[in-house]
Amino acid sequence: MNANEYRTPGEVLGWASEYVAGGGTYVWNQKVCASVVGIARITPAAATAEDQKPTIEVIREKERGPVPEPGTVVTAKITKLMPRQAAAAIVCVGPKAVREKFTGIIRQQDVRATEIDKVDMPTSFRPGDIVRAEVISLGDSRAYYLSTAKNELGVVSATSDAGAAMVPVSWQEMQCPITGQREPRKVAKVV
Amino acid sequence: MLQSKSFVKKTRHGKVLKVVREHYLRDDIACGTISCTVCDNSKACLSSSSGQIIVFDTNVALHQIGLLENAAVSNVVVLSLVLEEVKNKNIGVYNRLRTICSNPSRNFFVFSNENHRETYIKGLAGESPNDRNDRAIRVASKWYHAHLGPTSKIVLVTDDAENRRRALAEGIVALSVHEYVQTLGNAELLDLIIRTGSEEAQTTGDAEDLRPSKRKVIYPEHKLMSEITSGLHKGIYHQGKLRVNRYNGFEATVSSESIGEEILIQGRMDMNRAFDGDVVAVELLPEDQWQANSLGKIAEDADEDDNEEAVGLVPDVAEAVTDTVAAGRAGRPRGRVIGIIKRNWRQYCGSLDPMLNSGGAGGFVHALFSAADRRIPRIRIQTRQFANLVNKRIIVAVDAWDRTMRYPAGHYVSTIGDIGDRDTESEVILLENDVNNKPFSKQVLDCLPPLPWSLAAEELQNPNRRDLRHIRVFSVDPPGCRDIDDALHCTLRPDGNYEVGVHIADVTNFVLPDTPLDEEASKRGTSVYLVERRIDMLPKPLTEDICSLRADVERLTFSVIWEMTPEAEILSTQFTKAIIKSCAAMSYAEAQARMDDSRLSDPLTVDLRNMNRLAKIMRKRRIDRGALTLASPEVKFEIDSETHDPLDVGMYQIREANQMIEEFMLAANVSVAEKIFGHFSQFSMLRRHPVPTPKMLEPLLLTAAAVAVDLDISSSKALADSLDRAVGGDPYFNKLIRILATRCMTQALYFSSGDLPPPEFHHYGLASPIYTHFTSPIRRYADVVVHRLLAAALGLIKLPAGLRDKALLTTVADNLNYRHRNAQMASRASVELHTLIFFKNRPTDTEARIVRIKSNGLIVFVPKFGIEGPVYLTGKKDTKDESDWIVDEQSQTTVSRDGKYRYKVLDKLVIHIEVVEPQPNRPKLQLTLVEQPNA
Amino acid sequence: MDFISPEGLRLDGRRPLELRQLQAEIGVVEKADGSATFEMGNTKVIAVVYGPREVQSRSQQQHDQALVRCEYSMASFSTGDRRRRGKGDRRATELSLVIRQTMEAAILTNLLPRSQIDIFVQVLQADGGTRACCINAATLALADAGIPMRDIVASCAAGYLNSTPILDLNYLEDSGGGPDLTVALFPKLDKVSLLQMDSKIPLDVFEKVMNLASEGAKAVAQFIREKLMENTKQLVLAKGR
Repeated sequence: MNANEYRTPGEVLGWASEYVAGGGTYVWNQKVCASVVGIARITPAAATAEDQKPTIEVIREKERGPVPEPGTVVTAKITKLMPRQAAAAIVCVGPKAVREKFTGIIRQQDVRATEIDKVDMPTSFRPGDIVRAEVISLGDSRAYYLSTAKNELGVVSATSDAGAAMVPVSWQEMQCPITGQREPRKVAKVV
Repeated sequence: MLQSKSFVKKTRHGKVLKVVREHYLRDDIACGTISCTVCDNSKACLSSSSGQIIVFDTNVALHQIGLLENAAVSNVVVLSLVLEEVKNKNIGVYNRLRTICSNPSRNFFVFSNENHRETYIKGLAGESPNDRNDRAIRVASKWYHAHLGPTSKIVLVTDDAENRRRALAEGIVALSVHEYVQTLGNAELLDLIIRTGSEEAQTTGDAEDLRPSKRKVIYPEHKLMSEITSGLHKGIYHQGKLRVNRYNGFEATVSSESIGEEILIQGRMDMNRAFDGDVVAVELLPEDQWQANSLGKIAEDADEDDNEEAVGLVPDVAEAVTDTVAAGRAGRPRGRVIGIIKRNWRQYCGSLDPMLNSGGAGGFVHALFSAADRRIPRIRIQTRQFANLVNKRIIVAVDAWDRTMRYPAGHYVSTIGDIGDRDTESEVILLENDVNNKPFSKQVLDCLPPLPWSLAAEELQNPNRRDLRHIRVFSVDPPGCRDIDDALHCTLRPDGNYEVGVHIADVTNFVLPDTPLDEEASKRGTSVYLVERRIDMLPKPLTEDICSLRADVERLTFSVIWEMTPEAEILSTQFTKAIIKSCAAMSYAEAQARMDDSRLSDPLTVDLRNMNRLAKIMRKRRIDRGALTLASPEVKFEIDSETHDPLDVGMYQIREANQMIEEFMLAANVSVAEKIFGHFSQFSMLRRHPVPTPKMLEPLLLTAAAVAVDLDISSSKALADSLDRAVGGDPYFNKLIRILATRCMTQALYFSSGDLPPPEFHHYGLASPIYTHFTSPIRRYADVVVHRLLAAALGLIKLPAGLRDKALLTTVADNLNYRHRNAQMASRASVELHTLIFFKNRPTDTEARIVRIKSNGLIVFVPKFGIEGPVYLTGKKDTKDESDWIVDEQSQTTVSRDGKYRYKVLDKLVIHIEVVEPQPNRPKLQLTLVEQPNA
Repeated sequence: MDFISPEGLRLDGRRPLELRQLQAEIGVVEKADGSATFEMGNTKVIAVVYGPREVQSRSQQQHDQALVRCEYSMASFSTGDRRRRGKGDRRATELSLVIRQTMEAAILTNLLPRSQIDIFVQVLQADGGTRACCINAATLALADAGIPMRDIVASCAAGYLNSTPILDLNYLEDSGGGPDLTVALFPKLDKVSLLQMDSKIPLDVFEKVMNLASEGAKAVAQFIREKLMENTKQLVLAKGR
């Protein structure tokens, strides 16, 4: 069995007695076979493992689009504002743009870390704002739960009534460069 | 796995559909020359060294197929493009061309130029398909030239001058057909060339001015196909097959489904160049021109003097129905042909009409050809060898029939032999009926078991084969019969019942499926019995020796064994393969004599008597069920053993012994039919006899009513009973009525059981719900099929693939029906021929019966010789003058105007039979009235 | 009708044991998880795979394996005469089922419990052998989607005309009235996953035709593997590694 070769499903990679079947493989009739298209990789067993067989896996070259997972930081666009929560469309997971639509919800209590019972949604976000948020859970069947309750999370880009990109002036306010008008936001601290 | 290297999509425009088909081009197509080192030459047959290689275009194939069939033409490349075009234009020519190509001795090679990467060409913009094809042919010729090198000689043969010009410009040798044949240096071949269009004017020159502009238009124009189609659609025109009256070449009927009855076409103009069997489009004439004179004349169209009715044998069954019906009705629709949808041209046998001025020897003459088949008009041919051909029977093919031509134009194909020579005339009969008379090929003969054949030991060991050699088996056949395919036994069992066995030659043990032998037999379909010889379906060693159940030899059989009560009730039926040893091969007369001789009481005679008793009961039961006892005037010639000339002629005598054998054969057939149908409901080969339609029985009823006999045709039973009651003044009367009834019956047919619903299986004549043929496998292929089906039903063999294919079985059945009909026609024609020979030196006076009244004569039947023909009452020429005779259609009587003579249907009269020769070498029978009864 | 000339060529110029030209393209629908078009001569099929994804209706969810669904349809422009061919007719329902069962046998469904895999197959151009072509397209799309499979499934049809077994019938040959036998198999495992024929043929002939179809399917499998490798290589190149 040669490593770093292209493999297609069904191809035999080696004996199950010699290898541990890793990702993208399965065992059939004591043989390890590929189950996806990709490059075969052999990883020697970790020194600590009791089974000293190397692991064989087939790694797909074509990647799926990123999926938000709890703990990851995502970039989202506010789509709808409600009294107790804001809906957002996730556009990026970490640095990667998503390939399909995921919706997230920022609940009132997740907007900021302090005085969470005094949060007023309209003074935190406006539809169209781009926010950075953390996925806190998979949420319900419709949306992920997002949180901006950290200093570096919150609105990163917003547009004023006049149509200009505003600049943050404090962690609670942003200012329009044209009219000079200030608008309230939960602003992310630029790191 | 060969993949095509490149491919081109070929688009074909249908009516509305755009069909896209892939067209793979290849580079593994061989050129077919033996010396070629590049191509795979395993199938090669062309020699590039020994002279020229011929390439021809589609029109050459279409028009000069007769020439191509001549052995002088060889070393030919047939382009797949040409084959394809020929196939689309004329499937008959295509098949002939294919036959030539498959004959290895002819050196015709099929080159798939359309699939070859280098010879495939795309049509250019603005180029017509014809031009494109011509170019493809030139490209292929050029490719051959390039492929085989500069020494090769490729000749493109085409009659298209433009194509020739372009070919020459491209450096290809191109010749016209005429030029090409001249290079062969065989003058006889020039006769085979068919002249078309421009070539004709050049080669015949001033022999006769045939240029269209100067010719008179004789026939009305055929309508365009598009007009016909729309006319048919609107119901203005009617489509159907043209059937020319056997007795009158210028009267025909078209049975059209759209109008539901037959349309009468009368006269040369209205027939408008249609041949018998052509599918035509017909337009109805105004009703006031419909035929009022329902009786019709025996022959019309006085300018065609050889078209009067001929004396012939009595038709067996209703194949002459069209003209018998024609006589029956008043006001039948009349029509005229306005277009021919499908030609039914084939090659015709016949002879040239003698000419006073036969032209110079070797020069071209135009001669008229009369076909042996009277339904075919005369054909005009050109020949250089008139003097040679005038006294010969020749074969001629039809090429064209223009509006300006009185007769269709044809060309000479080959010579059969001298006119009047019996062998030649028999050959004509066989050719006309499409009977294959050629000796069996080597491949076929190779399938035979080695001779002398004897029972192999392993057959005795075969558990599926019962040893019946100890049983007293015997056969009864016509005298001199050598292909004995059935034998019987009948033994009394201890319990008082009888065991009756019918043993049929086990032909399928020797004729195995999908062998050349089987294919040949399937093509021939049946043995053909002529008066002086027999054309076998299977090679002689099989028919006369290995399969023939002769006396005192061990033979293999397929047997049906019944247990019967003394009342002939079948208690059980067994089918088995068996071995028998016949103890006696008797003739009918011998068997009858034994039964009648009360002094004899040997076991064989007792068996015969027992059998006869059972047969009589079975027969009675069958007749009670409604089976018809029909009669046909079969005649038997006594043939001189040396000259093969007929010495005497008489009616075939039917004895009790014949009926006995017949009865058991019928029973065996029915038993087998039930068995195979039980196993193979979808592909059993059965035989049915359709119920005659009331229309078909009309002439019978008319005749019967005229002689005050009441016939009930509501069922076969009713008809049988009323036929029994029809007793006239003399003993022959009843038989005559039966003969007339037989003639109105439909033909029994083979069919595949999957094609029809079970109620249609009915056999009318035998009043049996199911029937097949099992008992004569030596001489009928249907029986071979049935043997295989039965063996498969018993689990003895696996059903051959061919029999499991419903469509294939249907084609087999159709072919068998066709062959069977042709065999009957050939037999009849042979009897007619011998009747003629018989009467040649024996002018005879004999008694005849009137079977039909016509406006200018009577059709009479001569019981003694089984012939039927016209007797003219009026002078033949002055057909206009019919007033001397008054015809009463209702009572089928004709009375002379002065009341002196009176003829009624079925009346007896005396006629004189003699052979006359109105033209040299054209002998025919003539019947004339001798006595004037009831004056 | 003569489907094979005495010279041994079929109507379109192939020999009896030859496949039509095969073509395939992977990743033709960006949005989908996997997609492919597959062409056998003039028969062209597109297959699109979504999944594994959450089961849409809870009641269908299977706790131990993935739910595979398949929808077959025929584009109304796929044949010469434009006819409305929905996904609701009997033929489509049957084909959907056949394709689903064939692919389900290949997918390692136990690895993806509580999920759903949707396969959409549409005939873009029909010229005989659509069944086989659909299965081949679906295999490619599944492989593209990265759904774990036992083996690739390759399919091919064969028939019996003019007493000759012939491979990969086109429409004209398909309507010739002979048997039309479609085989789908796992080439590496050497197992048959689909065998369909709706006419009767003798057993000995059947064996010949079946063997021919299997040989054809193996050739198709070889082609599919090559296509998958080629696609993977291109992805690697695109990544610039």
